[in-house]
Amino acid sequence: MALVCGALLAFTSVAGGAIAGEPTEAPVTTSLEAVRPLLVTTCLGCHDNATAAGGFSVEGLTDGAERRDRDRLIRAHDRVAAGEMPPEPQSLADEARQELVAAFGRVIDAADRADIQANGRVPLRRLNRHELEQCLRTLLELPDLDVADLLPEDSLRDGFPKSAEGLELSRPQIEGTLDAVDAALAAAIAPGVAPPDSKTFTAISKSLFGGTAYGEPEAMYFAKDSLPVAAPAPDDAAVECAIFRSAYWPYHGYPAGFVAERPGRYRVRFRARAVLQQPDCSLLPAAAPVPMTFRARAPSGPDVSGDVKAVGGLFDIAPEEADYETIVLLRAGQTIEWSPLGLAVPLARNVDGGPPSYRFPPPPPGGHRGVAVRALEIVGPLPPADGIWPPASHRILFGDLPIRASSSGALPVEVVPREKVADAKRLLRAFAGRVFGREVEDDDVAAAEGVVLAALDAGREFTAVMLAGYRVILAAPEFLLVADPRGGSEAEGRSDARALACRLSLFLWNDRPDAALLAAASAGRLADPARLVAEADRLIDDPRFARFVATFTDHWLDLRHVRRDEPDARFFPEYRLDEYLAESLGRETRASVERLIREDLPIAKLVDDDVLLVNDRLAVHYGLPPVSGSGVRPVPRPAGSPRGGLLTQGAILKVTANGTSTSPVKRGAWVMTRLLGEPPPPPPEKVPAVEPDIRGATTIRDLLARHTADANCTACHRRFDPVGFALEAFDVCGGERSRVRGLALVGSPADTPDLVTGIDRAGHDFAYRLGAAIDPAGSLADGTPFDDIRGLKAEIGKRPRQLARNLLGLWTAYATGAPLRFSDRPEIEAILDAAEPEGFRVRGLLRLFVVSPIFTGAITTNAPERAGALP
Amino acid sequence: MSRFGIGGLSRRTVLRGAGVAIALPWLDAFARGAGSAGPPRRALFIMNNLGVLPKPFFPGETGPGYALSPLLEPLSSRRDDFTVISGLSHPGVRGGHSTENCFLTAARGPTRSGFRNTVSLDQFAAAEIGDQTRFPSLNLGVNVDKVNRSLAWTRDGVLVPAEDRPSRVYERLFMAGSPDQVAERRRRLAERGSILDATVDEARRLGRAVGTTDRQRLERFETSVREVEERLHAEGAWEDRPKPVPLEASPADVVDRALLFKGYESMLAIARLALETDSTRLVTLLVDAFATPPFRLEEGAGLTLDDYHNLSHHGQDAQRVAQLLEADRRQMTLLAGLLDSLAERREGEERLLDRTTVLFGSNMGDSNTHDNTNLPILLAGGGFRHGSHLAFNPDDNAPLSNLFVSVLQNLGIDADAFGSSTGSLAGLE
Repeated sequence: MALVCGALLAFTSVAGGAIAGEPTEAPVTTSLEAVRPLLVTTCLGCHDNATAAGGFSVEGLTDGAERRDRDRLIRAHDRVAAGEMPPEPQSLADEARQELVAAFGRVIDAADRADIQANGRVPLRRLNRHELEQCLRTLLELPDLDVADLLPEDSLRDGFPKSAEGLELSRPQIEGTLDAVDAALAAAIAPGVAPPDSKTFTAISKSLFGGTAYGEPEAMYFAKDSLPVAAPAPDDAAVECAIFRSAYWPYHGYPAGFVAERPGRYRVRFRARAVLQQPDCSLLPAAAPVPMTFRARAPSGPDVSGDVKAVGGLFDIAPEEADYETIVLLRAGQTIEWSPLGLAVPLARNVDGGPPSYRFPPPPPGGHRGVAVRALEIVGPLPPADGIWPPASHRILFGDLPIRASSSGALPVEVVPREKVADAKRLLRAFAGRVFGREVEDDDVAAAEGVVLAALDAGREFTAVMLAGYRVILAAPEFLLVADPRGGSEAEGRSDARALACRLSLFLWNDRPDAALLAAASAGRLADPARLVAEADRLIDDPRFARFVATFTDHWLDLRHVRRDEPDARFFPEYRLDEYLAESLGRETRASVERLIREDLPIAKLVDDDVLLVNDRLAVHYGLPPVSGSGVRPVPRPAGSPRGGLLTQGAILKVTANGTSTSPVKRGAWVMTRLLGEPPPPPPEKVPAVEPDIRGATTIRDLLARHTADANCTACHRRFDPVGFALEAFDVCGGERSRVRGLALVGSPADTPDLVTGIDRAGHDFAYRLGAAIDPAGSLADGTPFDDIRGLKAEIGKRPRQLARNLLGLWTAYATGAPLRFSDRPEIEAILDAAEPEGFRVRGLLRLFVVSPIFTGAITTNAPERAGALP
Repeated sequence: MSRFGIGGLSRRTVLRGAGVAIALPWLDAFARGAGSAGPPRRALFIMNNLGVLPKPFFPGETGPGYALSPLLEPLSSRRDDFTVISGLSHPGVRGGHSTENCFLTAARGPTRSGFRNTVSLDQFAAAEIGDQTRFPSLNLGVNVDKVNRSLAWTRDGVLVPAEDRPSRVYERLFMAGSPDQVAERRRRLAERGSILDATVDEARRLGRAVGTTDRQRLERFETSVREVEERLHAEGAWEDRPKPVPLEASPADVVDRALLFKGYESMLAIARLALETDSTRLVTLLVDAFATPPFRLEEGAGLTLDDYHNLSHHGQDAQRVAQLLEADRRQMTLLAGLLDSLAERREGEERLLDRTTVLFGSNMGDSNTHDNTNLPILLAGGGFRHGSHLAFNPDDNAPLSNLFVSVLQNLGIDADAFGSSTGSLAGLE
């Protein structure tokens, strides 16, 4: 295909909207020329250089070889095609409009394809911080390596930290990268000539709880035979330590006398049961399990210092006493803290400014739930799982060369080479082969060898010198930068197959390709769409696919913000300090996205589903029949429940609110943008935000009605506000509501109308007033009315093609590092055509996407003529 | 294309020269990299983790003509050199004393599972301007629990331990290292340099095999590697440069933790010495009142009724409140002395104070009630417009990070956000 150059519509001076003169440039050969008279009569009146309405002029429009010009053409194309331009639609006859749109389309498409052919679809991009960390973990077999935070945060473009344009290569980025590489190598080398001695720590009776729970007597006490004991004998193995609170400040709930002297994995075993606290502090078995985890932290007393991290996973402590076991990862100097989830939190307060005291919230019916533990054993640090020393990470660097204690102390051990130079060369080659995932040639290790041999020559110690060589290899652009594949075949001078393998594994695992994928790539099998799909399926079925789900939903659905805004306790005291709820909300949404893909469900299930994914806490939150245990599992939707699908999930309703109030505008715009890919235009400047009425007398909807009474406002707002109206039936955490809540002072007269008072789960007095009733009905932009969220979901569910189109656009940006291009549009429609008969099943869509030229980078010169089909 | 080669020096020349003595003017060119145009800007961040009594601290009136509060009285002669700010706090940073490590980081939820601290204001600034001085930053503490508390945190949330012995800081700042130490440091820098060189070679090799757009990316990669290298050389250049000669002897180490204010005064003195010799431009000082046992308001005076923490939970007990008030007054007097000495010293045409932002504050708005809102904040020097009580909403605080953004910009750093900021702080222009 010939590349067309030169300005197309370089008009000479235009006066008073008069017809233009002659083009000033050489003969033009593309199809815009054919529609020049149309452009002149239709557009030039407003879009000449002098007026440039909306900042747009058709004078000097080119063939779009430059990206900026092409973007202008695309804007023109889309607005004319949508009937938004010219502003009086009747001024352009349908045929003329089609002609204009087609001409724009041809020019843009040709220019876009020529650009891809010349420059590729995506420039080289850097691994983002989490990908780099994951690649280093995999390369060095250090699953717990923790280096991502050494790098500055990655900037987001097109919504994801995966964009070639957003992943800049600035000095701080490079510095962070080099630091991360250093830290990874330091972690890889054996920490000593022999594995650290594993020690066993045991605790019973009083030593089970070495700190203070605050809020006693209810928060924590010792018991024997289910009765409280004030002074338990330290050696009495029958004593239980019963804990009835969740961890928050102030609290230090760690066993007496245990601190990890060395970093590593520790095995934790304990015996426990779930109990109910009776008014006389006797213990009854609980009716349902109580969830618990451990917190790794420094034993710094009530005031937390440094990191706090949930470790060892979740336990559902059953009412019958049982033994539990897990592995926790600890840093040197850390201990573990009992951390029951979802329990009460005592309030630290100063009555009348006096000395500090603590108030435990009143018990729920049946008594406070809690966990009673009777024995604890911690063993560690554990030797490597394979029992071999030095550990795998060390052997990756130094093979089987013997180690001895370091003479200089600069490194924990010294490697003893048999033959310095030969060993150095051999190890460097082996390591480079591992890093680059291919056969290495002399050139590939020349730089590293240069550094290593010079230092050996200067008499430097072998181990340190080798680490310098490994640094060179890990700082190589081939490792740090990701290339654009072009179709997955072995082209001249570059390996597109390996680049495609990389793209696939970074997409679905945030990781470098594993051996099987690399083997498929180097055997040329990825060029076969069936094999490519088989590999994608294998990656999706692997547990590592959870990384895709986490990163993708963190950004697409803003799940990274699920804890951003604390629910305002003045209005929502029931959520105060409810960490377990926040945690459960995120898990529900991730699980449902994972299920859609893994189980290949129709895309409409994104919006409505008769299966809900809930645990014990979410079942309560959503008013469902009780569910036992912390694990999120599918349950059938009971009749009458509005739940099902993303729109009614608490995490979504939370990230679209601000903690205090909900805004139909923001929620509506969010849904239109994130789920349907139809973002509203940015709000006009100088329109003040609507201030919610914290008294609760007026709903935000009524306030908004005044705000958008103007016809200019309504034109846009009617496209997304109604979606938000239906979502008004859910509060800032996704709880169902029929009335808004308004501010009331604690201590308001008891006869205040609609007053609700009490003590919340964290011991605070609360008071709020039930305010105006919510009206969840509305009608869509096309006039279709709906009564509430059920009706809205049904309407959105009728647009599966748009839901699927949006998802394909998101995957494009996420997986390729660049947004959809104009010339991709026909390909997207072809994928949609192919997916339509099956109802746009999500995994099917993903398979079609992965074999499309958009993903594989195959160069296409023409739009696909028919629907793509899977092999 | 390469941005290396200040003053016509090629990189290789410098590398070769790394082992031998190099004349000073060159080193100046390296040490004061391209970003150091204009007079130096400095900052000193002081934090007391039990704060001050809020009532006697905050003035009753707002604006420029406010009447000094009892605790600001000791600063009366400097009233045009500072601004007292009320109605600030870090959003989402609650949890009593656990908030102290977030004072300069603004990291939310310090007691929550999954919490990890974020970069502190001084370390954030040091990444930008730290290469202009021998020490990118200095992190000091009085009576400090070095394992658990610090104002300075790295980007990946690791505590940067505070130095609590003035004599040791003095030695680092002003005494030459042994030739062996210097040679070892220089060797390490040279090794890092050779790794970077090799990386550049790799980028060039790959660049030969790719298209235009990718080649541009690789050139950007190379430029950034060169910039890392430049910084390395600036660091190496300090090794060859004699340390400054201070005009005074080292302040005394104060071993007795009961002599809190004596230790405090020593640390302020060493901070000032570091700043006036341009050894660093960023200093933090954590006054760990929490870790302070029963203490003496003056040398020779009796011990307070209780340790500082228990004293701070005064419960309105008159005797305890009186002792706290006296302690707060002592602290303000020390700050006044610091401002006086910074104002007396001149650098070029300006007072050192005008080039040094002094921020005093606490993570506690009211220690008695563990309140983490309405933090006491005092901003002095730095060339800001001062002399007023800047009051924000006590019921809905403005983010303290907004002030941090203003401070960063005042340091000449092109930053429009930090921590939980929503902009810079209005009213300081």
